[in-house]
Amino acid sequence: MKERQFPRARLDCLSREFGDEVLVYDLQRDIGHCLNSTAAATWKLCDGNSCPPQIARTLSRQLSARVDESVVLLALDQLADAHLLVEPEVPIERPSRRVAIRRIAVVAAIALPLVTSIVAPTPAQAASCVPFNQLCANNGQCCPPFLCVLNRCV
Amino acid sequence: MKKLDRLDWAERLTLSAFGVRAGVRVNASGVLPHVLPLLPPGWKKSPRVIVQRLYSLVVAQGCERAGMRRLHVLYANTMPVARDAALDQVLAALETDLHRYTAEAASDMTFLHAGVVGWQGRAIVFPGRSLSGKTTLVREMLRLGATYYSDEFAVVDSSGLVHPFARPLGIREDSSYPQTKYTAERLGAASGVKPLPLGMAVICKYEAGARWQPALLSQGQGALELLANSVAVRSQPHQTLRRLQKLVRHSVFVQGTRGEAQEAAAAILNLSCARERLETV
Repeated sequence: MKERQFPRARLDCLSREFGDEVLVYDLQRDIGHCLNSTAAATWKLCDGNSCPPQIARTLSRQLSARVDESVVLLALDQLADAHLLVEPEVPIERPSRRVAIRRIAVVAAIALPLVTSIVAPTPAQAASCVPFNQLCANNGQCCPPFLCVLNRCV
Repeated sequence: MKKLDRLDWAERLTLSAFGVRAGVRVNASGVLPHVLPLLPPGWKKSPRVIVQRLYSLVVAQGCERAGMRRLHVLYANTMPVARDAALDQVLAALETDLHRYTAEAASDMTFLHAGVVGWQGRAIVFPGRSLSGKTTLVREMLRLGATYYSDEFAVVDSSGLVHPFARPLGIREDSSYPQTKYTAERLGAASGVKPLPLGMAVICKYEAGARWQPALLSQGQGALELLANSVAVRSQPHQTLRRLQKLVRHSVFVQGTRGEAQEAAAAILNLSCARERLETV
């Protein structure tokens, strides 16, 4: 029961390293995430067996800089928001992001964790749209703000 | 499909482009030559009969009766794609659908929605959706001596090299008007043939009067921007991520708001030159 309370990274996502950052693609939600170095390092240590203070200690060793537990909590908060952690059966009590940021020392030796996300486009969204008064088959094909009316983008 | 198959087809063509096989059939003679310039760049005739997508263009024939318009109809497999009295409009719909399908179905290549030019042996890409000003920027770069690769897709192979998709540039004088097509040669530029490594990716948006003051973007953030413009990321996430990783290995990402394309184009090429100089030092 205790193990379930520890953060565990989802294993059903695709991930690739880009320098010290990691790009994660959530196959279930079709969302791409970019984890900066601190968020990526934290995510990799979420094995379900380590509590935040342990993760902070391991991070400190890896990065050769003191990493406060509040930094880890901030990373976990963002990773959980991005659905990159296995959802615990019992919700974990974590301090709010604002409180976590307040706790972080003014001078941080490492970058603050950051998770940036985008929704993956559908093929139609990622291709050129149909301009005004040209033929279309559905609304999705027309350039905004036009709509497909009687097979014309108007 | 059987109903369509029963029609008399006067002309047929099976083609292959970027590993995607498609067929086009027309029920009237003399129309196919008008289709050829609209096919994806680099297409080849394919001897194979089985295709992934078959376009059937039913051209309205015979005299018009009073009060009745005769319409040309285009089907993709069995699905009607376009129906209009103007044949050029239906042909334009064929081009759009075929290019989009090629980008979506190609498994050997990853298509990113982006403008691309070649500059000093490297590709500069401008990812962005429609009406984000890609073509305008590409046209300016060509004026400054860059080589044309595409105003629509950056085509990335498994080694991370960018291939040309050099269709004629579709220039819109205004977003509410249809595009006019210009070849790069007509604009006084050369079209690229050789695949290039990515040198720089420029993520920008247009704002009237803005000054181009770009900020550097990290490799991961840049790759995320490219992912946001990948046509087939939902259906081919593994390949897309793998190719993006190879694509961005030695590239720089910049992001900013641009004003007029002339100023931004010159600044981007200068930045690219400066980067080259730094690398040689």
